[in-house]
Amino acid sequence: MKTSSKEVQDSVKKLFEDGRISHFIGYEAGSDSLRVTPCFLKSGQTVSRLVWNPLCANNLAKYLLDLRKVEGKVGILVKGCDSRSVVELLKENQIERDRVFIVGVPCSGIVDGEKLLAVLGISPGDVVAVEDGGDAFLVTTREGKRRVRKEQVLRGECLVCRYPTPVIYDVLLGEAIPSLPWVRDDYSLVRELEELSAEEKARYWNRELSQCIRCYACRNVCPVCNCPECIFDKKAPRWLSKANDISENLVYHLIRAFHVAGKCVDCGECERACPMGIPLRRLNKKVEKDLLELFGYTAGIDVEQQPPLTKYQVGDLDEFL
Amino acid sequence: MVNQKKSKVIEKGRLTELLDKLTQGYHLIAPVQAKDVSFRRVESGSEVTLDYINSVLSPKNAFFSQTETLFRFFRDDNRGFQIEPCVEADREQVIFGIRPCDARSLRLMDMVFNGQYRDSYYLDKREKTTLIGLACFEPDETCFCPTFGIDPASGEDVDILFSDIGDRYLVEASTEKGAALLDKFAGFFVEPRGDEEQLRKARKAGLARMKKLDVSAIADKMAPLYGGDYWDSIGLKCLGCGICTYLCPTCHCFDIGDVNLDEGGGRFRCWDSCMFPEFTLMASGENPRPNRKTRIQQRFFHKLKYFYDRNGELACVGCGRCIRYCPVNIDISQIIEEVASGKAGND
Amino acid sequence: MTENIYLPRMATIQSMRPETIDITTFRVTIDGSDETERFEYKSGQFAEVSVPGVGEAPISISSSPARPGAIEFSIRRVGELTNALHELKPGDKIGIRGPFGNFFPLEEMEGRNLLIIGGGIGLAPLRSVILNVFDNRAKYGKIDIIYGARSPQDLVFTSEYEEWRKVDNTRLCLTVDRGDEKWQGNVGLVPTFLKELHPSPENTTSITCGPPIMIKFVIEALNEMGFPSEHIVTTLERRMKCGVGKCGRCNIGSKYVCLDGPVFTLKQLKEIPSD
Repeated sequence: MKTSSKEVQDSVKKLFEDGRISHFIGYEAGSDSLRVTPCFLKSGQTVSRLVWNPLCANNLAKYLLDLRKVEGKVGILVKGCDSRSVVELLKENQIERDRVFIVGVPCSGIVDGEKLLAVLGISPGDVVAVEDGGDAFLVTTREGKRRVRKEQVLRGECLVCRYPTPVIYDVLLGEAIPSLPWVRDDYSLVRELEELSAEEKARYWNRELSQCIRCYACRNVCPVCNCPECIFDKKAPRWLSKANDISENLVYHLIRAFHVAGKCVDCGECERACPMGIPLRRLNKKVEKDLLELFGYTAGIDVEQQPPLTKYQVGDLDEFL
Repeated sequence: MVNQKKSKVIEKGRLTELLDKLTQGYHLIAPVQAKDVSFRRVESGSEVTLDYINSVLSPKNAFFSQTETLFRFFRDDNRGFQIEPCVEADREQVIFGIRPCDARSLRLMDMVFNGQYRDSYYLDKREKTTLIGLACFEPDETCFCPTFGIDPASGEDVDILFSDIGDRYLVEASTEKGAALLDKFAGFFVEPRGDEEQLRKARKAGLARMKKLDVSAIADKMAPLYGGDYWDSIGLKCLGCGICTYLCPTCHCFDIGDVNLDEGGGRFRCWDSCMFPEFTLMASGENPRPNRKTRIQQRFFHKLKYFYDRNGELACVGCGRCIRYCPVNIDISQIIEEVASGKAGND
Repeated sequence: MTENIYLPRMATIQSMRPETIDITTFRVTIDGSDETERFEYKSGQFAEVSVPGVGEAPISISSSPARPGAIEFSIRRVGELTNALHELKPGDKIGIRGPFGNFFPLEEMEGRNLLIIGGGIGLAPLRSVILNVFDNRAKYGKIDIIYGARSPQDLVFTSEYEEWRKVDNTRLCLTVDRGDEKWQGNVGLVPTFLKELHPSPENTTSITCGPPIMIKFVIEALNEMGFPSEHIVTTLERRMKCGVGKCGRCNIGSKYVCLDGPVFTLKQLKEIPSD
């Protein structure tokens, strides 16, 4: 992560000064040293709040939806994965291209705080800062500097990330990263499950999804979950009971997986947000793999390319009809 | 008169056996290691973990389940129906390992479920439960219970307190209910050796570093912030999910719904959250809290002012769960600090 | 074992009187001898009415406690439950919990003139007051009722107006937003009509219930006419579920509308937040 917070700050300051943006969505330091938090700026005077470091996990594209009505252009900081969500929002006409200014930043992986603490055997309070050091993270602790090999502590989605450099941007801060050395098999997580029998799969998902508390964090954090009224919130008719049980939880997660099929870019936010540790990426990754194998389709690459499940072609398979 | 101050000791090696015994006469709810630790009904002592700071979900579930059937009904041939109430508290229950912050939260919940109208579903379970607390000597960075006058190593709100002092637990009953339970299982407990207080004191040393915020006039300081732009950026940042409310040990809002089957059905209640738009949406389509700003403002005002105005206590115990799990790092301790210090002014 | 506050009592629909195209008055008795009489309520209170399998909703009581024998609810079809209620027939069973909430301070109003202002279905709880004060006519001064609806077809309790008008020292003034060829009365919004009628605030308590937007402008008009805030009595409408101050959704400030309301004076409302 060669790009520094300073570079981001300077670039955003200039954008405000030149009148190219009226708002900016970035990251600022969080309430402790293992967290950052979304930051909303309305002028260049406060750009010193902005940070860019390996803790910047949030996919900020979600917030473009909230700022659709503001005057002027909205600037946003995007990593590779976030930029692919922006592509999906553009495809759906949720946002207009000329109303956003995309500041891209090449990203060589976000740290998973819990993995980091476990590997280093320290508690959250011991961490002072985390920096990018190429193939390792440089962690400043109260006891001194430590180096941790990235592969050990990266977030799951970063371990299989094929798009470290944003696919769409108005300005790119830093040098493009063509690929990440640790990325090999994108679908090992899915293959493990595919090998199970139907009963074993059912047992696996029943066990995982019975933990769901239906806080809807996975839906609310997801940029492509942007229906003005979600089917699960509709009161009349109520499609999903508010009672928490495995059958309702299963309906919720399966329908959501299909609703984001072809739009999910594996930014990993659903799994990161889930307080119960449900492996939601496995579900979405399976759908992603099927779409790739059946249609050769990958989401979030090309604004002109429509998701296969929402597009009709004369040559579509129709054996089931 | 029970000698509530009398301390006992249990050797660590005998704890599992004690828990096993407890499962025979009680529903034992204790911390279990899954991906994270959660409080669950256990069938044997070996399922219980003691390696945790606190659980993801608070033990409120044991009194106020996420989904609870209130009654079942059966249609009769006279165009009517027969109602059969559901009572879950059929047996005495013991919660082992509850932390002092969560124990305090039950005292706050009691204020809601008691009163002019008594909520028997919650209160019956409360009456039938003995709380065995586990003193907290190594709190998380996000913990700030001393802010609310909670001593994380005290047994003030539990029936019995266990304190891990190395090779054994110091065991103290703080209520008659607790003393009775200790008497019942007297064979497990031995007399203290004499160094226990000293060992506990040593373990408490680290607690002095815990965050303790000034909340002395927080309710008054909140008042002028109502409707102010302080909540704009917080509302913009908030995703409107239910993590903070569902994980919170003091949040108690619920919804009521019906299940309809041919021969009958039932009515249940389930957790609900003031963060959800439909929480206040009326049948007419009008919504008095139509956006995330007004909803998150409600959450913080309820915790730091409204609950206090009504019950004389703040509705937060500093357990830190909402801080640890908020995906966008909205931090109630930061908000309290900003309000208390006047930094949260409306600009 | 404490009394279970969530268990409904079974009740029987005795009759259903259509008021408008989407409002029906249900006359209900609670099953069991004396149970209806033992359902002691006051004007302004509500009950949780349910259809098992569909759900439950808070409904204000439109009958007067001074006329025992049955309890009446005037209900508009707006949601799932009210739709289900409208599908029922006399003889069918429903569930009732309550009565809940506070009530109009009729005892404090004794010796005073009453200005009753209603809009649409908001006349339902006011009808409880109207019938109640009619039965205790000597205790009150002049009674002015100002009532409006969107159209003549949307007025409720029309079959009772003639009787109301016969009561001593009582005036019923009707208005509709849009009239029709047969409509002879006033056309205009309730707040405007109120200003035209310009009732005196002297020794008068105003009670108003209706859509929130109407209440807002009625209160403004009453303020202009010099009604003190402690003599402006109104109701707050919020989504409710439990009816007993537990479920939290009707919380406003330190109040719960279901427990501390739904009746508030303007003076009280000024002290609580607007949401």
